[in-house]
Amino acid sequence: MSPERQTIVALVIVALAAAWLGWRWLAKRKNPGCGGECGCDAQRINAKIKRR
Amino acid sequence: MALPPHIAAAPVGPAASRLPVYALVGNPNCGKTTLFNALTGLKQKVGNYPGVTVEKKEGTTYSQHGQPITVIDLPGTYSLAARSPDEAVTRDVLLGRRADTPMPDRILCIVDATNLERNLYLVHQILDLGRPVIVVLNMMDLAVKAGLNLRIGRLEHELGVPVIPCEAVNQKGLIELRVAMSRLEIPLSRHAWDVPAKIAPAVAELQASLSSNDQKPPLIARAEALLLLTDRDSVRVSGSTPLHARTEDILRTWKKRWEGEGTDWAETLVKSRFAAIQRITNEVVQRAGETGPTKSDQIDAIVTHHVWGWFILGAILTVLFLSIFVLAEPPMNWIDDQFAAASDWIKAHMTDGDLRDLITDGAIAGVGGVVKFLPQILILFFFVGLLESTGYMARAAFLMDGLMGRVGLNGKSFIPLLSSYACAIPGIMATRTIESKRDRIVTILVAPLMSCSARLPVYLLMIAALLPAERVSLGAKAGIMIGMYALGTVAAFAFAWLFKRTLLKGEPPPMMMELPAYQRPSLKWVATHMLERAWSFLRQAGTVILGISIVLWFLSAYPKAPEGANASQQLAQSLAGKAGHALEPVIKPIGFDWQIGIGLISSFAAREVFVSTMGIVFNAESSDKEDTKPLREAMLAARWPDGRPLFTPLVCLTLMIFYVFAMQCASTLAVVKQETGGWKWPLFQTVYLTGTAWIVCFIVYQAGRALGF
Repeated sequence: MSPERQTIVALVIVALAAAWLGWRWLAKRKNPGCGGECGCDAQRINAKIKRR
Repeated sequence: MALPPHIAAAPVGPAASRLPVYALVGNPNCGKTTLFNALTGLKQKVGNYPGVTVEKKEGTTYSQHGQPITVIDLPGTYSLAARSPDEAVTRDVLLGRRADTPMPDRILCIVDATNLERNLYLVHQILDLGRPVIVVLNMMDLAVKAGLNLRIGRLEHELGVPVIPCEAVNQKGLIELRVAMSRLEIPLSRHAWDVPAKIAPAVAELQASLSSNDQKPPLIARAEALLLLTDRDSVRVSGSTPLHARTEDILRTWKKRWEGEGTDWAETLVKSRFAAIQRITNEVVQRAGETGPTKSDQIDAIVTHHVWGWFILGAILTVLFLSIFVLAEPPMNWIDDQFAAASDWIKAHMTDGDLRDLITDGAIAGVGGVVKFLPQILILFFFVGLLESTGYMARAAFLMDGLMGRVGLNGKSFIPLLSSYACAIPGIMATRTIESKRDRIVTILVAPLMSCSARLPVYLLMIAALLPAERVSLGAKAGIMIGMYALGTVAAFAFAWLFKRTLLKGEPPPMMMELPAYQRPSLKWVATHMLERAWSFLRQAGTVILGISIVLWFLSAYPKAPEGANASQQLAQSLAGKAGHALEPVIKPIGFDWQIGIGLISSFAAREVFVSTMGIVFNAESSDKEDTKPLREAMLAARWPDGRPLFTPLVCLTLMIFYVFAMQCASTLAVVKQETGGWKWPLFQTVYLTGTAWIVCFIVYQAGRALGF
């Protein structure tokens, strides 16, 4: 792939990544719950398999 | 037994037009959630009660004829006299005080069969409500093992409601329970207890007001009157319908009158209820001879000993951290090699250009730098799971409680703080069980000081990769790691002590804690716990960290430097470089340059992003475009403009200390805002934590420099 084409593809990927991060940040602001990150899933699974 | 005068209504069934709604209530740790999961399977809906951060869990089960039945899992509580927002929701739903949740048609009271007397207090209060109740005696297997013979028929006779023996964990007794739940009519309780004659007028007057002014049905009004007269510290939560002013007046008047008489009638009421419960348990529970101390008691005599207990805790932590270093090294090196090989392969097969650089210097360097720490995360959570599964964690909490009480922390703060070692977010959410708002906020404020797993890659990069192996032994590395965890813990206690004496003054209530019996660890549980953490870590690396790495590569590669500029000049004049340079005057006094500054800025999204940022920054700066150097070599080669090495042992130590204190996590801030209901506390937390980080780092770095390090 030519360097010019590489630049275009790379910039598109960067734009998509930035848009996704921005969308995620906005979605988190609307619903700032645990959101399944950072061990919250572990909590849910623990509750499910909690023996007693 | 004659019906007491307040029980006179006909049996209550669900409205004919809709399906019955059952509420599950019980003491904490009675197996309520296990039973809810067993009844509803995957048909669950989890949300929040409006206006209050308490989880609302609803599910659907089916009657013996296949009719759907709605089940609401209410938060666990020891009594209807609520002491925390969770317990207040249970009380409000059962008393019909919440407009967002209709009063359940029927109530399933889950009772721990091994501890009938304590559990019956809540059952007794619920039976007062005059609603159809089914009592589920859970953990029958453990009761039998403990030598208890429970006369189910006698209990049914005494309470006057169906009693179903059950082992929710083994799915035993569920068919009988479903059959009982399917009954069209459930008899109302015939239980009776003596309300002291002196209190009866107060109960009657309050009941009348609750009926006429608060529109409560007569039996609910009576139960609520009894509750209001014994509930000293009533917790109110958003969404709870307030009492009518007239009812409040009557309550105040009676309480004042009793205070004037100098008689604690509230306590008399509680004692009267316990006397009734004691009478029931004497009839129902038969013990198989005298029992001496159990095996758990014998082990606890050593494990919770005020001297030996601490030795054992120290030994366990040492083994844990040594294992992290010893066992994880080979798989870590293997992962590192795979990412380096992938990067080299792409460099060899793609022509030079931005896409190639984005893949190798952005995505692979960023994600690979974090993923290589997966073995250590797995080992850490294997040990944590093992300790939880055996029941040792509760003993560690018991040991710590004395220490926490001395700094003014609530005993209930232990579990949130312990959870914060994994991640501050579930830890902060776990503070909902703390009844005192001040204690809750203190716990939230100090929770991020507990070293979470996201800090682990930063500590490990600094310790394992940058402290010279020939001068630092394995034991010393483990010691430094324990030191970082200890520093955060001590700082959390110190700040809690400070806040409890200044901003949030108040006495902590005494802690009531159950020590579960020791048990053989469940390897299935430990494996699930460990794999879930690993999945969480990999998902974070594959999504957020990948996204940030891509954006960060762009920020370090653009705008392009003039033709002929070297990699270092390119990074310096890039957007990331300019941001780092802007921050450098603030962080230079603590030994950090603009390149570390880029890492500090980016890791505000998540702490482990610091490692991936270092991977991008130092790979981008590396002049060797065809061969990928390990990150530690690239970092060791980094220099200040005057030629001094950038990452000295002193700077590594300072950087670790910075990460112990600094509030470097946007997700945690969002959760603190949600839990405290505004930006005041998250902003205060950011200022005090990051401010402390800078001051401590300044002292350590400058003192270290003065001493010649």
